[in-house]
Amino acid sequence: MASKITCAEAVDYISRREEGKLTRGQRFRLWRHLAACSLCRIFSAQNKLLARFAAERPVADALTETDKDIIIQRVLGESQEGKTDSGSAP
Amino acid sequence: MNSGQISEQVFHSWVGEHSDLLYQFCRKRVADRETGRDLVQETFLAAWRNRTAYRAETSVKNWLLLILKRKIIDHYRKAGAPDPLPHEEPGANPFFDGAGHWKQGLYPRAWRVEETDHTERKEFYSIFDSCGKKLKALQHHVFTMKYVDGHSSEEICKELGITSSNYWVLLHRAKVQLRACLEKNWFIK
Repeated sequence: MASKITCAEAVDYISRREEGKLTRGQRFRLWRHLAACSLCRIFSAQNKLLARFAAERPVADALTETDKDIIIQRVLGESQEGKTDSGSAP
Repeated sequence: MNSGQISEQVFHSWVGEHSDLLYQFCRKRVADRETGRDLVQETFLAAWRNRTAYRAETSVKNWLLLILKRKIIDHYRKAGAPDPLPHEEPGANPFFDGAGHWKQGLYPRAWRVEETDHTERKEFYSIFDSCGKKLKALQHHVFTMKYVDGHSSEEICKELGITSSNYWVLLHRAKVQLRACLEKNWFIK
């Protein structure tokens, strides 16, 4: 029952734990692994940072006026040709 | 406004009012500029083609966002089926040895995360983006859906048409690779 888990399994458990997907036994095994393994403790801390970085990532660029003109031209250009609802969109 | 009244002029105003927001939303979720631009363009195209389906009880913004979200998922799905890795075989992961321990030389090292100013933040996120682009497309999509959109694993599996075991392998790999890349290129240069 109280078998040990590997670091690879601990990394997997850390993700599953975020969703409350671990059984009591798995939570205990993860807790025991982290108590003994400094590398996985580092990973566990960095795992939280990765989530934060992803959520806080800013968007550095924007559409240009030309991009917007192209959208309008393409869309309304199509409507002038009559409604050619082809599969030509990329 | 009912759908019959959506003239070209009205459409112009939609692009003017909503394209920036749609692009921001999209670029939070796709790695490169061209894809972001294409998806926004496809969204407006689909909105125009289906303008008779527009109902005034929804705001234009929300309607367009709904279309864009579908376009993003379709784009993700085009990344194709994951590698045939239903289970993590020992030794198959480049970061762990056959016994499931971190490989020597690839041990995670503690990061010093400091307060950053605007320029450093910009530099950091440009590294973050380039590390993201090194992931396999599907790994990146899974990671983004999880941590940008906050979807559950079940929702992600359903949207991408992947199995639960594939999902956990993809997420696991995305994280160990991303952390290693950030460590090498930013935290411990």
